[in-house]
Amino acid sequence: MAQIVLMPKLGQTVEESTIVKWHKATGDTVKKGDVLFEIETDKAVLECESFYDGTLLKILVAEEETVPVQSVVAYIGEPGEEVPDAASAPVAKPVKAVAAPAPAKAEPVKAAPEKVFATVATPAPAVQASVAVAAPSAPTKLFISPRAKALVKNKVVNAENIAGSGPNGRIVEKDVLAYLEQTGYNNLRIAPAAKRLAAASNIDILEVKGTGDSGRIMVRDVETTIAEQPKIMSKMRQIIASRLAQSFGQIPHFYVTTSIDMTDLLSYRKELKAKDVNLSVTTFILEAVVMSLEEFPIVNSSTDGVAVTWHSDVDLGIAVSLEKGLVVPVVKGAQTLTMEELQNQMKALSEKARTGRLMPDEMSGSTFTVSNMGMFDVESFSAIINPGEGGILAVSSTLEQAVVVDGKIKIRSMMKVTLSADHRTVDGTKGAEFVKALKSKLEDIDLWKSLI
Amino acid sequence: MEKFDIVVIGAGPGGYPAAIHAAQLGKKVAIVEKEIFGGTCLNWGCIPTKALIASAEKFEEINNAAEYGIKVDKVSFNYSNVVSRKDAIVSKLNSGVGSLLKGNGVTSYAGTASLESRNVVKIAGKDNLKIEADKIILATGSESFIPGFIPKSPSIIESRAFLAMTKLPKSLIVLGGGVIGCELACMAAMFGVEVTVVEMLEDILIILDKDVRKAIRSNMEKMGITILTGEAMGDISATTKTVKGKVGDVEVKAEKMLVSIGRRPYTAGLELENAGVELDERGYVVVNDLCRTKAANIYCIGDANGGPQLAHAATAQALRVVDNLCNKERKAMEMLIPACIFTAPEVGVVGLTEQDAKEQGIDIKVGKYNFAGLGKALAAGATDGFVKWISDPKTDQLLGAVAVGAHATDLIAEAAVAIRNELTVDEIGNTVHAHPTFAESWMEAAHSVHNLCVHSVVRRRK
Repeated sequence: MAQIVLMPKLGQTVEESTIVKWHKATGDTVKKGDVLFEIETDKAVLECESFYDGTLLKILVAEEETVPVQSVVAYIGEPGEEVPDAASAPVAKPVKAVAAPAPAKAEPVKAAPEKVFATVATPAPAVQASVAVAAPSAPTKLFISPRAKALVKNKVVNAENIAGSGPNGRIVEKDVLAYLEQTGYNNLRIAPAAKRLAAASNIDILEVKGTGDSGRIMVRDVETTIAEQPKIMSKMRQIIASRLAQSFGQIPHFYVTTSIDMTDLLSYRKELKAKDVNLSVTTFILEAVVMSLEEFPIVNSSTDGVAVTWHSDVDLGIAVSLEKGLVVPVVKGAQTLTMEELQNQMKALSEKARTGRLMPDEMSGSTFTVSNMGMFDVESFSAIINPGEGGILAVSSTLEQAVVVDGKIKIRSMMKVTLSADHRTVDGTKGAEFVKALKSKLEDIDLWKSLI
Repeated sequence: MEKFDIVVIGAGPGGYPAAIHAAQLGKKVAIVEKEIFGGTCLNWGCIPTKALIASAEKFEEINNAAEYGIKVDKVSFNYSNVVSRKDAIVSKLNSGVGSLLKGNGVTSYAGTASLESRNVVKIAGKDNLKIEADKIILATGSESFIPGFIPKSPSIIESRAFLAMTKLPKSLIVLGGGVIGCELACMAAMFGVEVTVVEMLEDILIILDKDVRKAIRSNMEKMGITILTGEAMGDISATTKTVKGKVGDVEVKAEKMLVSIGRRPYTAGLELENAGVELDERGYVVVNDLCRTKAANIYCIGDANGGPQLAHAATAQALRVVDNLCNKERKAMEMLIPACIFTAPEVGVVGLTEQDAKEQGIDIKVGKYNFAGLGKALAAGATDGFVKWISDPKTDQLLGAVAVGAHATDLIAEAAVAIRNELTVDEIGNTVHAHPTFAESWMEAAHSVHNLCVHSVVRRRK
């Protein structure tokens, strides 16, 4: 009896997923633990492993296809075994996921982030639709004579741009000839292979700028035009785009920047290191953020413009940059953790993010985010608030600078931080007090001595 | 100090065309040469080797005259006459270069150039002076050399000394089965020298596709050349009379050894550091895609910049660099450089090879046609060889070509035109090629890309 492979349900908030890549083809032998396929949810890309040994008998969900979680995506069994086709496959039955990277923690998710997710998920299809309209190959009903059609095909131009002079605006050969003359097509020089490539790739020759001898259109020119065509962004990118646009459009951002003298902290960290206590600078910053948020709960709140929700937990989002975009894993209840625990959780989450193994639940529900670009030699930057949060802290590089200390110019290691706060709830003075609290903590070595 | 718009250093196939072209475009130009006009190509490379090979082929042809129904008795050669014929050709050509330079108004200086600064060139030798230059074009080329691990001996020579010999040895080891090594090995073998080629890599002429290499190697072996590949030569020792060494377990021994394992860029004594011109870790001048060095007004063309070490590549760069300078343009160098190898049989190759495509993961379709199917080849008694097209299956674009066999080095010109202008397989197939000629093979090979070649039996498609 063939085994059913389901689209895994990855946490509470995910309703559908897209298969981006099949690692096995129909007929391949599959071992338990082999990666079967990769899925992209609206939060991340994950690898899904097989729970069974056998042969991949049938794939029901092709690459780039999106289906609800718990849908049947494939069958695994003995070679030659009969399997039902897609239509009769059981869909969305609450069975246990047979392919999943790790069991999702069935933890009740707070109401707020779920709401956030719902508002985020809706714009995605809209983005897709608008791109599809913009794509040049979108077929529309075109009245064109066979001779004109053949000529258009032979010349590799887009018939939609040609005005028809026949009945009901029908395009006839004469119109195409006039169009070619009027657009300067007849003066173009086109390398034969370039023309073939344009035809094969649905590129209008008139869109291509020639760079060969005397402006001749060469293969490389067509390749350039192909590269310039609008392409649907990955689902992850679309989500990033819509969240950022939503945040920047709806949340009035307010920015406060301060410079923090890290010199003493850096030397204290060295001291600790000599005693085999390894705490990263980031950990100190995160701990200081957690303490400051506890002092200023309004920065750890969220608002929809009508109600404000205070969060008793500091669920700290940490921005991690990946090749495909940004993910924000969340350290839950950060105020309950020791610095060592905070550091370990952060490391584990970042590692999971880099290897694409973050579960959606591990990326949702943050109340405040820290974005650290210290490793990129940036002097200062400001970040955009994650929707559903009250603020985000942008941490820049620590740079040696000439600073006035006690009336004398000294070389100190200075780090700029910029708080972006939701101005609807966070007043300017509150924001300023928050960064001042953060600064005084990071510059207070006695405080750290009392903590470690 | 006299001031020039452009000063060219080196009068080889890169330098002299650069100087003449710039002068023709109205610039005030000087050229500095430390030896003889024409550089390696004309004096110790392309031309003299081809002169010797022509004599060798003539000798071989006469020896095979009986095949054509011609009786020739007592054929012999005098190698010193062969060499003087070569020398006459070379001197005719290099005096020709001299008069071209003069006639086009280029000022020539004889001496070794060095850079005193970005704009001042110091000349030492027959002429001793300093000149000022707005732009400088380095065209100093490369030189053959014998690496340090090989003992110094009059019996061990590199290609330049080989060409100067007035007497052929009875036996010869050729160390390095690249282009120069294989060409001279074939030449010597045709004159009856017992030749052994030693190549460390898995095959001779490794840049070529396997089928091409096989055609050359089997013919060279038929000519009596021993070819040892896949192992380096060790235990090399030499006296004035013999050279010997070991290749794996095989002992090789000969009267002379030709070392042809590469060339090195010629930059010594140029004092490039005074102008801020940088070299890479192998000693080549670092240039960008417009052949400009790290010093903004100094360019480097030809062998010394680490590109393909071919005379025509240097000439093409010369003309483009000068055009860019004079017309204030930024046109890139021509990237499609054909290469010709004058072995027996000879080879012409241009563009993508099958092994390149495999390495780069490019999907290709190949069409091949053997000379054995050509009436002309049969008539001429030259049925060994073939031509091959490499094409893009998606668009039919011609991406590469190779010809091996009679006239291959001339045949490749058609392929270069087709590939540079991005023609398709069909267009070559539809171009009427005169009958009976060797060039027809391109048309037949184009037809066979689509399995539609009339003059070959096509396996039925399933």
